[in-house]
Amino acid sequence: MKKDIIIAGVGGQGNLFASNVLCQYAMSQGKNVLGTETIGAAQRGGSVVSHMRISDEPIYSPLIPLGTADVLIGMEALELLRNLALLDPAGYYILNLYCVPTVYTNLGIDRYPSEDEIRRAVKKVCPRGVEIEATFKAAQLGNAQMTNVIILGALAKVDEFFPYQEIRNLVEKTSPPKFAAKNLEGFEAGYALA
Amino acid sequence: MSENNYVMGNYAITRGAVESGVKVVAGYPGTPATEIVEGFIEYPQVHAEWSCNEKVALEVALGASLAGVRSLAVMKHNGTNVCTDIIMHLNFTGINRGLVLISADDPGGLSSQNEEDSRILVHTYANLPVFDPANAVEAKAMVKDAFALSEKTQMCFVIRPVMRVCHSRSVIAYEDFDQSQFPQAHWQDDRDRYIMSAVEVRELGGIKRPQARHRWLNAKYQELAELFEESPYNWIEKGSGDLGLVGCGIGYTYIKEAARNFEKTYPLLKLGTLPIPQKLVLKFLQGKKRLLVFEELEPVVENLIKQLALDHKVQVEILGRSGFYAPDGELTVPTVVAALSKADPQLVLKREFNPPKLDLEVPVRTRTQCVGCSHRALLYTLKRVARKKKAVVFGDIGCHDAGSFKPMELQSTIYCMGSSVPMATGAHFAGEKRPVISMMGDSTLFHLGLNGLVNAAYQNSKQVIVLGDNSTTAMTGFQPHAGSGVNLYGEAAPKVDLAKLGESLGITVHEIDPYELKKSYEVLSQAVEEDGVSLVIASKACFLRGSRQGVKFFEPKKVAVDQEECNGCMVCINDFGCPALVYSSETGKVHIDEITCVQCGICAEVCKSGAIS
Repeated sequence: MKKDIIIAGVGGQGNLFASNVLCQYAMSQGKNVLGTETIGAAQRGGSVVSHMRISDEPIYSPLIPLGTADVLIGMEALELLRNLALLDPAGYYILNLYCVPTVYTNLGIDRYPSEDEIRRAVKKVCPRGVEIEATFKAAQLGNAQMTNVIILGALAKVDEFFPYQEIRNLVEKTSPPKFAAKNLEGFEAGYALA
Repeated sequence: MSENNYVMGNYAITRGAVESGVKVVAGYPGTPATEIVEGFIEYPQVHAEWSCNEKVALEVALGASLAGVRSLAVMKHNGTNVCTDIIMHLNFTGINRGLVLISADDPGGLSSQNEEDSRILVHTYANLPVFDPANAVEAKAMVKDAFALSEKTQMCFVIRPVMRVCHSRSVIAYEDFDQSQFPQAHWQDDRDRYIMSAVEVRELGGIKRPQARHRWLNAKYQELAELFEESPYNWIEKGSGDLGLVGCGIGYTYIKEAARNFEKTYPLLKLGTLPIPQKLVLKFLQGKKRLLVFEELEPVVENLIKQLALDHKVQVEILGRSGFYAPDGELTVPTVVAALSKADPQLVLKREFNPPKLDLEVPVRTRTQCVGCSHRALLYTLKRVARKKKAVVFGDIGCHDAGSFKPMELQSTIYCMGSSVPMATGAHFAGEKRPVISMMGDSTLFHLGLNGLVNAAYQNSKQVIVLGDNSTTAMTGFQPHAGSGVNLYGEAAPKVDLAKLGESLGITVHEIDPYELKKSYEVLSQAVEEDGVSLVIASKACFLRGSRQGVKFFEPKKVAVDQEECNGCMVCINDFGCPALVYSSETGKVHIDEITCVQCGICAEVCKSGAIS
């Protein structure tokens, strides 16, 4: 088996925590894992992409080749679009319905596409996917930074490779103690939403 | 005994050095290498430091090596440029105990001011041996070998990991080590080597020492080439046909990944060392008509093989970065496949993939300052002053450099560390009629900015120098520096007093709080009118770092835009540009994204029509 996962978002959305949980699980299953992320401008609102590769076979490149990702998680709508070419059309996506405008869209130089346009463009490439309002849910629960655990909950619901209980345990174990209870609440909420 | 850990490539390098008994580590932060130094916080037996700049770091490491312990210098490629002078001396003297230099490259310039290949400076220019790791596991092994071989050959070894090695995450075996077996410092003079000066060498007929050491270095290079014939980082993998592939460092990794999708197996030469193993390469050339070389980033190995083929009169066409495929940018699996399809039109892929064409344009996302950052307030004020006084602003490296992009477009230049102040000095003495201002951060000041500052004062230039002092190296993830008051380990450390430093130079010094817009505007306006050099120190701790630690920067003010009052003038977007301010093209007005807003309330002061409150 192999599972190549892209998590695309903007700085501060907690990409790294989510990819770490998934890799810890894959390692516990005796899989080979390899990943990388672009984090250069992460703290200043830039795009952040994590590549995560899980396989029974040896893995060479930390970057997932074009068109071969099994899962594309868009923590932000535009970032999902930006990385769409990495997704295998036979795979699936998880789209967090949340938009972070860019400097250029704010200036009116670029136009931020509408939700419908985004949905259409994505569906044309890959028919399978789920949409979830993770950031709004996280804000409701008290902290928008919990987007990542909500997404993990959704993933555990839709992808049988990541079983609910094991991922939940890892979220609990890898969270800083004072956030553990809140993160579990977010995880459950994501599971329920997906 | 060993334990497997899933870690970043940078920590694999850290661990390799620890298992090698490294005693002194010095570096300057820079993506993608930063975490290598931070990794040593866990190992108290090592002295690790954030040096003021990379040249200082390498000199600290050299001093430790000559004093008898293993040492490591860590930097990114343009930091290595800063070290050029010391590199061009330590290559001639050689070293004592193992000295390893990590020079991390960023092909594609994903997080850098420029795109360059470290191997040219350290190998082609300085003749130092280089290891080019294909992945993090190999990088760790290379660190350990580099220390051992550095001692064996008396040469400083360089490891050149690229971004995708440094920032990869993989399973790394942490092996046990016995700290007590590593030697203690013990200085021994060796003046024939350690004194680089134009003195006559009696034993060599009176030639000058620089020439004698050059002779030594040339001989050493041959010795290294011989040594690498047996290197575990170079090998041949069999395949069919007369087209051979050469994979250098991560180039090998991408070939292997691409090859999963090939119907046939090409002969493959994996190279991880410079100098290249000449006999091994000549053996690989046998029976080949064409060679296709994959390397980051310049055609370094390609040119060395061309030279070798020429010297040995081997008829083979050698293709690579020199023009056969992209001579710039990061290697990728698709680059490998495209280049190979061009070299071998018979190439059959198991699976074709044509990336779908989006019928939608995806807007680019440029970086800016964080929400709440004091640099944004400072840039806003500085822009108002610069506009009023028609000043030219010279920029420098740091989070504030994003003030040079849209929407602010304040700074007119961004070059290398510390360049802002001397460039402003030059523009002033050129006779530029407009006032000149430079903007620099605190970490950059201690890096190479000080020289320009002292020079501007000494030349009695007329300019304003704005220091955006957030007490940390924020751009790379909050590394402390000489003005932070703490060291790498978070222990209290002496702190440079910036105001006193300015006063000691005999220049005018002002101190402002960048969150106080009105006061800052007055001070900056006054500074532009002053004679000589005026240093305006704008101090406010990094908001992102501080807020994560629970520091309170301001009384939270719930901010909202009154949609009736907003006239869509765009001042808040154009001149301030906080990411929490969102312009809606439907309403032609601005609103605040409450999820992003940190409630600093500065935008309320920025709004001209009083719509934000």
